[in-house]
This record gives sequence, C-alpha cells and structure tokens, in this order.
Amino acid sequence: MQGVFAQVAVLGSSGVLLCGIILLWRRGVAAYITAFAWQSTVLAALTAAVGYFGADPQLYVVAALLFGIKAVAMPRLLRRVARRFAAGREPDPYVNTATSLVVSGLLVLLAYAAARPLEAIADVPTRAGMPLAMGLMFVSLFVIISRKMAITQVIGFLMLENAIALLAVLGTYGVPLIVELGVFLDALMGFLVMQIFLYDIHDTFSTVDVDVLTRLKH
Amino acid sequence: MEKPLFDVVGIAVEIGQALLALALAPALVGFIRWMKARMQNRRGAPVWQPYAELRKLFGKDILVSQNASWVFHVAPYVVFGSTVVVSLIVPILVTPLPFNAVADLFAVVYLLLLGTVFLALAGLDPGSAFGGMGSSREMTIAAISEPAIALAILSLALAAGSTNLGEIAARTIARPSSALSPGHILAFVALFIVMLAETGRLPVDNPATHLELTMIHEAMILEYSGPYLALVEWASWLKLLVFLMLAGNLFVPWGLATSLAPAALAIAFATTVAKLVVLAAAVAVLETRVAKLRLFRVPELLAVSFVLGLLAVASSFSVR
Repeated sequence: MQGVFAQVAVLGSSGVLLCGIILLWRRGVAAYITAFAWQSTVLAALTAAVGYFGADPQLYVVAALLFGIKAVAMPRLLRRVARRFAAGREPDPYVNTATSLVVSGLLVLLAYAAARPLEAIADVPTRAGMPLAMGLMFVSLFVIISRKMAITQVIGFLMLENAIALLAVLGTYGVPLIVELGVFLDALMGFLVMQIFLYDIHDTFSTVDVDVLTRLKH
Repeated sequence: MEKPLFDVVGIAVEIGQALLALALAPALVGFIRWMKARMQNRRGAPVWQPYAELRKLFGKDILVSQNASWVFHVAPYVVFGSTVVVSLIVPILVTPLPFNAVADLFAVVYLLLLGTVFLALAGLDPGSAFGGMGSSREMTIAAISEPAIALAILSLALAAGSTNLGEIAARTIARPSSALSPGHILAFVALFIVMLAETGRLPVDNPATHLELTMIHEAMILEYSGPYLALVEWASWLKLLVFLMLAGNLFVPWGLATSLAPAALAIAFATTVAKLVVLAAAVAVLETRVAKLRLFRVPELLAVSFVLGLLAVASSFSVR
C-alpha cells in the first residue's frame, strides 16, 4: 500500500511538472492555458489521492476547490483575457526554446540537490515527489523571467502557486482547510489584480509585450 | 539449470526470430500506411503492398551514377547487414537467447547508427545536390538525438542495473510494479520521441513524400535504384520494427517467452504481433494528428526528449 502511494505521488508530481515544462516548449497562449488547466486537474487528482491514502477527508474538499477554481474558472478567465488582447503567439522569448528546455532540466536536477535535506527529514511516503514540486517552482520562476508576454508571466505565476500547493500536499498532507481557503482567495485576488494590470498595460501601450515597457512613452 | 553454451535449438530460434522480423517488417509499414490512409479518408493500398514493392525492385536493374565510388555499392549491404544483426539480438520472441551476452542497449543503438552513417556517406557519394542535403540533415538530427538516446538508455539501465536487453526485460517481468514507475514511463516517452527522429517518421521527416525541401531519408536514397533501393528500404522498415520492438518488449515485456517451450513461443508470437499492431496504430494516429516540424524546431523536440530522459534518470535515483 505504501509503495503504491509513493508511486502515485511521484507519478502525479511528474505529471504536474511536465505540464509546467510544456510552457517552455509550446508557443501559443491557448496551449499555455490548456497546459495550466491540465496541471491543475492533475494536482486536484493528486490531492484527492493523498486524501484517500492519508485518510484525510478534508483534502477531498481542497481537491474539489482546486478543480473548480484552477482547472475550470481560471482557465476560462485567462481565455477571455487572451481573446481581448488578441494574444495569439509568444514573441521570441529571451532564451530560445531548446536552451530553455535544457535549462529546465538542469533546474529540476538543482531542485533534487536542494530538496535532499527536506527529503531526509520528511518521513511521509510522498517525500519522493517533493523535489519535483520544487523543480516546478524553479521552472515557473524561469518562465516568469524568460518570457516576454505579460499573460505568459501571469500563467507562470499561477503555476508557481500550483507548485507551492503541491509541495504543501506532499510534505504535510496539506495545510489546515481554513489556511487553504485563505490561499485560494489570495491567489484569486492576485489573479484579478494582475488582470487589471494587464488591461492597464494594454490600454497604455497597446501591447502586453513587457519588452516594450522599457521604452519611454510620450 | 544445466545449459550448454551453444544450444542448437536456441540458435535456431534466434535465427528464426530474425527471419520473422525480416518477414514482418514490410507488413508493419504496410499496416501503418493503410491505417493512415483510412484515417485520412482514403482507401489506401493493401497491407501487403510493400512486399510487392520489394519484389518489383529486386527484379530491376541497378543504375549507378558515373561519379559513384565503392562506398555507394557497399552502403546498402552495410545498412541491411547491421540492421539484421540488431534484429538477431533484440528480444522479439524469447528473452534469454544464446546471443544475449552481446545484446547490449549501446550495441543496438550504435549498430543502427552505423547504418545511418553509411547511408549518409552514400548520399554524399554520387555528388548530387539532394543527396548531400539529405545527408547533412540526417547527420544533424543524428547528432542531436544522440544525447537524448544515451539518457533514455541510462534511465532504463539504472532501473534494471544493467544495459543488457535480456536483463532489463527480465527485471521488469520480475517486478511488474516498476513498469508504472515514473522513471519507466518518462523513459518510454523519451525513447519514443527519439525513435520517431531516428526512423524518419512524421514530426521530423515525412516518409510519404518526395518534396525536395522537406525530405531527409528520401533525399539520401534518391540515387539508389533496383535491388539496392530494395535493400535500403527493407532495412529502414526493419529498423522501425526493431525500435518498436525495443519500446514494446523493454517497457511492457509481458508475453515474452522465457523458455523455448512451443506453447510459450506461440503466446510470445501472438503478443508480439499485438504489441506491434498497437504501437503501429499509435504511430499512424500521431502521424495523422501532427504536422511536420520545421527543421529548426526539431532540436526543440529532441530537447524535450532529453529533458524527459533527464527527469527519468533523476526519478529512478530518488525512488530507489
């Protein structure tokens, strides 16, 4: 049973991480949003699985919320934003695709090295997935700094959020429900604020390419 | 168990297995083509069409360019021979066979690469523009798919503790749960992507066209005709079969016979054909769904495979 649990945890975490890496491989905003929706779905499923194996019914509620907010509602909002900006394809990123993929691989290796002490003190069967969650954190940070479009950066931020949620689920079987609710609210608020910012950037500069923001406007 | 070093039955089965692979390879390609045609609302040539193609080609004369040197004449035999040697050592029906001692993953991959290199040389040899272009592209892709293959192999070998093909298959049969471990699945996907690149399938090279700007494999063999062309084509089909068999029998080895009993061999034959059909169907669906990548995006695809391999290696370290 423990062995199966550990494998499910690692398999789920790899799935979540791979959805994050798709961001570096694909170019279209629509593909990013789909990847994010899938990532949230896998994360919700994994949370439910941890709830089942760890016998913690609260996690089912968290999983349902995760699915509802991050896999259904947020992708829908993101699609609306993308449509409004007519943001189809990512312009050439600061780091080209092949290099960013290799960098993401190295970041995951770095995460394995960085998470070693964490794994050593944790005694939960899910600990093998923790380096992958940390790897996703690094990869999404890399997305935020290496991509030019503001909407891609927002998706990167949301994936970072997913990574932290994943780490919490794997490391401690989730934080108390009330804290989780607060985090959801925070993420949603953060997203709404960023959406307003996006609209503002778009109104002022008539583009969401943040590369243009460094130029003076007159 | 007492076992002589050279058992006649084992070697007979070994050679039978290679002949079976040779016989099945055209049908495999014919099946993929037929299925693709069906999915694209065409009627498609029958599955046995490639056999007819081979027969036709073997009956023709060889036409050789004036500028061609001996390399051009040797290459088809090297390509065909190296691929047949590989089909002797890859587990197709039975896993511990007399030649298992040399059935190393590295040996398999680099024997196949030997054929690729000779084909590229043969493409350059007659000095035609297309041949040179095809060879240059083929070598570019081979060079960047090398690290990805090495990593995918490494992750498999790490999980089994050996690069021996029989050993890897035996380990997975012994521990069924390891077939679902993330390292295994990631390595499978990584190897599948590399396989598409190495055998010239769709996202990398389109096997169905002679469009001069996009072809890779077809450009290299443009100067070949008659029996030479038949050998080269047969070898490339056999290569596809060998790669599919590697994917099928290393990652999902159930059904593979572990003894030479006739019943086990019959089951092994049935499961082998079933696996080939499933994998070929997967290739056909993929080839219908995706468009060919621009040549400059191919390194990105192989980088995906590389990252998957890296993740597979990392996770097989951590899960242990």
